[in-house]
Amino acid sequence: MSISDATVAVSEELAARDDMIVCRGVDKWFGDFQALSGITATIKEQEIVVVLGPSGSGKSTWIRCINRLEAHQSGQIIVDGIELSNDLRNIEKIRSEVGMVFQQFNLFPHLTVIDNITLAPIWVRRKSRPEAEEQALSLLERVGIPEQAEKFPGQLSGGQQQRVAIARALAMEPRVMLFDEPTSALDPEMIKEVLDVMEELARSGMTMMVVTHEMGFAREVADRIIFMEEGEIVEVGTPHHFFTEPAEERTKMFLSQVL
Amino acid sequence: MADGGDVPVIGDKPVIERVAARPAEETYRSPGEWVRKNLFPTPFNSFLTVAVGLFVLFSARGLLNFVFSEERGWDAVRTNLRLIFTHAYPEEQYVRVWVCVGVVAVLAGLSLGLFASRGDGLRLRKIANGLNAAAVAIAGGIVLREPSVLVGADGETVRDGDGVVRQSFAEAMTDRWGWWLVAAILAVIALALRRVPERSDGSHPAVRALDFAVGALAVPVISAWVYPWGHYAFADGEFIAEPGRTVAMSTKLPWTVMWVLAVASLIAGRWVRSRVDERALARLRVVVSCTWLLVPFVLYWVVLRDPDLDWDRILTVDMPLALAFGIGGGIVLRWLTKDGIGEFGRISAVALLGLAAFHWVAAFMGWYPMLQKVRISFLLLAVMALLAHNFSGEAAKRRRLVLAWFVITTVFHYFATVMNTPSTVETPTEALIGGFAVTLVVAVFTLMLSFPLGVVLALARTSRLPIFRVMSTAYIEVVRGVPLITILIFFVVILPLFLPANMEISLFASATLGYTLFSAAYLAENVRGGLQSIRRGQYEASDAVGLSTVQRTVFIVLPQSLRASIPPLVGQVIATFKETSLLAIIGVFDILRMANSVIPAQTQFLGIKREGLLFVSLVYWVFSYMLSKQSQRLERRLGVGER
Ligand SMILES: Nc1ncnc2c1ncn2[C@@H]1O[C@H](COP(=O)(O)OP(=O)(O)OP(=O)(O)O)[C@@H](O)[C@H]1O
Ligand SMILES: [Mg+2]
Repeated sequence: MSISDATVAVSEELAARDDMIVCRGVDKWFGDFQALSGITATIKEQEIVVVLGPSGSGKSTWIRCINRLEAHQSGQIIVDGIELSNDLRNIEKIRSEVGMVFQQFNLFPHLTVIDNITLAPIWVRRKSRPEAEEQALSLLERVGIPEQAEKFPGQLSGGQQQRVAIARALAMEPRVMLFDEPTSALDPEMIKEVLDVMEELARSGMTMMVVTHEMGFAREVADRIIFMEEGEIVEVGTPHHFFTEPAEERTKMFLSQVL
Repeated sequence: MADGGDVPVIGDKPVIERVAARPAEETYRSPGEWVRKNLFPTPFNSFLTVAVGLFVLFSARGLLNFVFSEERGWDAVRTNLRLIFTHAYPEEQYVRVWVCVGVVAVLAGLSLGLFASRGDGLRLRKIANGLNAAAVAIAGGIVLREPSVLVGADGETVRDGDGVVRQSFAEAMTDRWGWWLVAAILAVIALALRRVPERSDGSHPAVRALDFAVGALAVPVISAWVYPWGHYAFADGEFIAEPGRTVAMSTKLPWTVMWVLAVASLIAGRWVRSRVDERALARLRVVVSCTWLLVPFVLYWVVLRDPDLDWDRILTVDMPLALAFGIGGGIVLRWLTKDGIGEFGRISAVALLGLAAFHWVAAFMGWYPMLQKVRISFLLLAVMALLAHNFSGEAAKRRRLVLAWFVITTVFHYFATVMNTPSTVETPTEALIGGFAVTLVVAVFTLMLSFPLGVVLALARTSRLPIFRVMSTAYIEVVRGVPLITILIFFVVILPLFLPANMEISLFASATLGYTLFSAAYLAENVRGGLQSIRRGQYEASDAVGLSTVQRTVFIVLPQSLRASIPPLVGQVIATFKETSLLAIIGVFDILRMANSVIPAQTQFLGIKREGLLFVSLVYWVFSYMLSKQSQRLERRLGVGER
């Protein structure tokens, strides 16, 4: 796909905002297998981008490259003006600016909920413990589970665990939040509680990049939708454009399967 | 009656437990039904039951006859108890040994009072079952043993194991009235316990397991005051054997004091716990744990060894040195945690490490003389400096780092000074203590040293940096391929030859070093198993919230992997504890050597070996069994925390 394709359909208001994540020609190989090829996209401040695509299309790989859980091999990734490279200091900076929420929650099972949330603020942001705990409690309030602070992750439901994971990421006061299929490991009745928290977060002005199969969320909340297949960006557009008049044949195929 | 009265009780302990556990779980089944279902379900199983049962009975009889035989020289053990436990620690200074036991008793009581979880409690019914089983075992033992009475040469009289001549089997049985009485008392207590009514809420009456254990310990302590166990001692080359008296004052008084101390500190611990909040309790936990870590050093080097401090030298050399390092290091660390020092701080820390390493190189090359503790101080400071950036920023955190440095410097310099000071306690052998004490000391120091080393080796082996990985793997594989005894002999015989002329190393130190290096390799493999059990998501989540590699390892990876590897780790602890018996081979007067060669060489007890060895096995077994029980409890508790 060409660069111009990837940047179409950005409304004028959006285009005027600052760039938050810029990817230019990002390539990523696992051995001989090319997982990402020439990914080029720009995500603006306070924008909500949903990434769609069939399984194995490279969505996770891309999102994980943005906070350097995977290293890309060529091209540029610039987050909030900092370019990702092998320089450890840049990686440190970016990780404290970018929060990530995983499909499998990945909470620390040996720590209580409150310790899960305060660990990084205390040791990375260098907050005092009382300050960090106060913040953690207000975040738990925000995600709707203030009463679970002293429990261990194993004592919570999946939906509650994922909300703790969101609170843990927010505690670092990130400028960007990445979500990799945050609801895929949840029972249906718990999906909504997590999506509600994400919606609230979106309204509060957070920049978000969300890989999900929740078409409802994509339609209602996203500013733009990026469709990927086989490691490439196939189509970019507003939800309206995307769900009503997709341009690409492959997009139509995908939509006919999932809708 | 007096002879070896304690042996069968302890020996029967597992039997009690097993028998007790059954009825509690399956109360709905009648005993007959249970026997049919579990012992005789099929003809073949019935055959196995009978065969194994006969084997067990004959073994038990053999053991009973051995233990209670008239030929047994239990006096050899009874008289030499001090020798077995502490070797030739001087009598006038013996109070030092009791101080050690007392400190451990107080700390144990406090820790249990502060932290032991309430648990489900021990049901009275379960205790009653245990007592019943004990009564049955004793009665069975009396009957089982009796048929072995020897028929005298005249074909009429019979002699039992004690050599007492009796006219008949019946008389022999009634002569055992003391044991029958013990069995009867146990059975009566059991009956009384069964009669305790259920609580109003319908739950079974129970006591805390800990309280029960403490209460049970009171039984031997009190009996020492009232029952004529006999007064035996070996002191200043004199044997004292006065059967029929109560235990010597120098034994029963200290043990009573120890028991009172333990109970008092248990109560004190519980009292404190009921007054303070969670946060204060967590802080207390840290304090008590640190105390446990320091206690072995204090007890061995200060209390037992009673160093002959040279105050002139301390005031002119040691104190100024410690102060210089404390203040100088404090200033350096404060500077390294300044806001915005950034990369420059880390470079300085690495430079410090280089300086420290250089001193060690210089030491090996013999370029310039330097006190060993100065070299170690530099190294400690460098390590602290490398970690300093974790504490930068906030004033309170910076202060805590500097404070930690002061504490570390003080403790280190204090012990370095004490260890380099000759002891005032004079013993006939080169070693300060021997017997079981040396077993404990070597085991404790080995574990305290090999644990951190093992963790470091495991981390190195799983490191991404090939140099660490290769070195660690090579070390572990080499050590694991060599028998422990070879390593010990190497350290005891060959290591001293390699040391510079002005350095000497005691047998005790070189043996501990050998054990440490050996044990660390095995611990490392256990920890590595735990490391591998950690899912990738934990690493990714740690990275995603921005933790550094050190922070990730300390806060996320190690706590989880150590928890996962508790069972093999405790197995390794028990193995190390038992392997200390090899000390006997390399010339240390440990508990095994007491029984195997020291006691049999005493003129009064020439050649009496089997009793001592049996007793030593019992001591080893009691400790190992307690360790494995504790580990099971620990596992259960931590497992609950995780769920
Ligand atoms: N560590 C790895 N080593 C080798 N191949 C990998 C690795 N991680 C991912 N891949 C491959 O890269 C491709 C993209 O994977 P990715 O996980 O990004 O897909 P995805 O779009 O997130 O799919 P899904 O919807 O199933 O999560 C897949 O073909 C996958 O097999
Ligand atoms: Mg994926």
